[in-house]
Amino acid sequence: MEDRMGWARFVGFKMLRLLSLLAGVSVVSFILMQFSPVDPVEAYIGGDMIRVSAEQRSLIEERWGLNDSPVERLFTWGQALVQGDLGTSMIYRQPVADIIQERFMNSVALMAVAWVLSGLIGFGLGVAAAMKRDSRLDHLICWYCYTLASTPVFWIALLLLMVFGVWLGWLPIGLGVPAGMAADQVTWGDRAMHMILPALTLSLTGVAAIALHTRQKLVDVLDSDYILFARARGERGIQLFRRHGFRHVVLPALTLQFASFSELFGGAVLAEQVFSYPGLGQATVQAGLRGDVPLLLGLVLCSAIFVFTGNMIADILYRIIDPRMKEEAIG
Amino acid sequence: MRGFSWGKRSVRAGVGILLICTVGLSGCTQGTSSTESVHQAATSLPKEELVLAVGTEPEGGFDPTTGWGQYGSPLFQSTLLKRDAKLQLVNDLATEHFVSEDGLTWTVTLRDDVKFSDGESLTAEDVRFTFETAAKSGSVIDLTNMADVEAPDTTTVVFTLKSPQSTFISLLTTLGIVPEHAYGPDYAEHPVGSGPYKLVQWDKGQQAIVEANEQYYGKKSTFHKLTFLYLDEDAAFAAAQAGTVDIAAIPAAFSKQQVSGMKLESVKTVDNRGIMFPMQPAGAKSGDGLPAGNDVTSDISIRKAVNVAIDRTALVEGVLEGQGRPAYSVSDDLPWSNPDSVFADANPDEAKQILADGGWVDTDGDGIVEKNGTKAEFNLIYFAGDLTRQSLALAAADMVAQAGIKVNVEGKSREETKKLAYTNAVLFGWGSHDPLETYNLYSSTHKGEGYYNTGLYSNPTVDNWMQQALQATTEEEALPFWQKAEWDGSTGFSYQGDAPWAWLVNIDHLYLVKNGLNIGEQQIHPHGHGWPVTSNLEEWSWEEELK
Repeated sequence: MEDRMGWARFVGFKMLRLLSLLAGVSVVSFILMQFSPVDPVEAYIGGDMIRVSAEQRSLIEERWGLNDSPVERLFTWGQALVQGDLGTSMIYRQPVADIIQERFMNSVALMAVAWVLSGLIGFGLGVAAAMKRDSRLDHLICWYCYTLASTPVFWIALLLLMVFGVWLGWLPIGLGVPAGMAADQVTWGDRAMHMILPALTLSLTGVAAIALHTRQKLVDVLDSDYILFARARGERGIQLFRRHGFRHVVLPALTLQFASFSELFGGAVLAEQVFSYPGLGQATVQAGLRGDVPLLLGLVLCSAIFVFTGNMIADILYRIIDPRMKEEAIG
Repeated sequence: MRGFSWGKRSVRAGVGILLICTVGLSGCTQGTSSTESVHQAATSLPKEELVLAVGTEPEGGFDPTTGWGQYGSPLFQSTLLKRDAKLQLVNDLATEHFVSEDGLTWTVTLRDDVKFSDGESLTAEDVRFTFETAAKSGSVIDLTNMADVEAPDTTTVVFTLKSPQSTFISLLTTLGIVPEHAYGPDYAEHPVGSGPYKLVQWDKGQQAIVEANEQYYGKKSTFHKLTFLYLDEDAAFAAAQAGTVDIAAIPAAFSKQQVSGMKLESVKTVDNRGIMFPMQPAGAKSGDGLPAGNDVTSDISIRKAVNVAIDRTALVEGVLEGQGRPAYSVSDDLPWSNPDSVFADANPDEAKQILADGGWVDTDGDGIVEKNGTKAEFNLIYFAGDLTRQSLALAAADMVAQAGIKVNVEGKSREETKKLAYTNAVLFGWGSHDPLETYNLYSSTHKGEGYYNTGLYSNPTVDNWMQQALQATTEEEALPFWQKAEWDGSTGFSYQGDAPWAWLVNIDHLYLVKNGLNIGEQQIHPHGHGWPVTSNLEEWSWEEELK
């Protein structure tokens, strides 16, 4: 009973925070867009600038409600949002909700694969490095992580593209489906093939942080008295790690892993751009560069919910894995 | 204890997931054989299919009434008229068109045998509907001069204009006709039209697949299926290297790299770059009330000296890697440009002479000439981030320095440039298949209005010639007036006249094309790279020996 009350309070509190967070980020993003030097009309017209007279420009401004004051526009947008309407994208001329939905599925699959891979590999590498501290393996893993941690995502993406797409010709150079293939003939295998390079890019760079943190944490644990005691009893290797190390390092690893949702999202923006992968990232870049306020706000909300969810899952897992956290919360 | 068993389970689950992933990955390595076969399939595609990476995605979809088809051809829809390889007007849907004496009433008669891809006939009502929809759409289609459009019978359309406009013809050549019966909110995603192709599938952010339209009345293309990939320039080049595409648009920077199995085609353009000079002395005001004018560039001898000192051929060789040609006007080689506007350049000595005659002398020996205490020095602004513009600006500045003029080259954002364009020289780029552009750049009507005529150029004689050109009832009739506005023997906006611009180069558009693919005789491309290459798809073919 008490337990359920604790959960209810926990979830209610989180929801309240989410709402205030969403309100906050939308207002801030809106203000930033107001100060952005991008002229939405010009971005909308693009290369056809010369064909458009001043009279036509004002028609466009009217059509997209750009003449209203910023406060008025934000208010109209918020009002529509409450009714579940995210507005219409200027560049795609489609409801924002449709665009996000369409692209979300592509991005989620990509990010999920990358996330699982980087989490598992990163955790594994971190544990291996700590268990074999100061060995050649440890040095190799650390070197790899330091290098990767300081490498920009798009650069890795380009490198993979050159090697696997162009030189070796093993993998497609971009897009989410094969070129020229009718939608009903595209198989899951095709989709997977097209996801490999972007997912690999994301997981390669995602590995570093989690591996280094796990290594450090495990090294600390291994230096503790109870490990000394366990060793004295003759415990070694895997057994030692499983009995005494795992619990100590899995919590920080999980936190990091779920907190990495934001980096994942940021990385996906760059990787999708390089691989012409039709996910949320591509849409975000377009919306930002061309001053498409409704689309950008929609995407900001979407990513805020995404990152928030990641952090919340981490909190929930904490409570499940470590009962002490729950007791503290109930107090 | 309970918690511990959970730990065990999670380890097992983790190992399980890891296994699945490895299996997945090894599955992928097996998959390579299938990509290779796809790869080979791409190179040995049935010859009537093409994969193209020639431009960015029209995100707004394929609705002509909101801007689709403004570059190249609308592909899925047909236009009333079109321009051939020589940019001459030819009929498409129209059988003839004539303009009333006062230039206000345009009557177009249509073919009566045209069907949309869904089998319905195309009538004058559809044309009326298209133009009315476009006028209301608040998009890039500027129909603000159209007062009314009527369809008195099924094959006649009558346009009424608010003021005479011979360039109205451009709208007839670019606006694709949409069917009234099949037009709705999702038209942009599911276009129905009477053009040579119909849209089969659009994977947003990735590609569009199109097939030949059996109902098409015109000359049919050899290629019954086309796939347009929407790739960045880098990705398009990578795709060409990987052998995935038959034609790819590439920037000049990649032109030196060889791609096996492909040849480089460069297409002549009016995609130009030039230096715009503020024409008024400092203290003037733009249309929006911004400060305008420049004491140095408002002196005609400075503008002429800059024009003469610049070695345009060297710019083409040095900056564009030879992929371009010198520019002497905004519309080189287009029918409305005046061939007399070409002049002998690359002559710093003549530039010095012009300056000396204009009263500019170097009195303090610093290599820069002065007049009444004012140094011959001005800023030249380009859009930061555009490497070609930066290189052109720097090279041009070096060239005019030899004549004793100091040019300070500065990169600015578009937004800053907009504010500074009235007081500083700016490196702009234009180039259109519509002489209306010439009017917008040089007429006093548009001075100080957005990016049009930021130099506040104004010459009543030029205005008069251009007014006559607009009022002409046909394009041919208008041509001599446009040419006279440029240079009529005594004045004009060319170098020989007021020299409000120093045009530098026209930048070739580059395409990597599969060996054996013939892309026909290309029009002179307008500003903006990519789509125009598709305007003559019906002429594309594989060379004989490859068939």
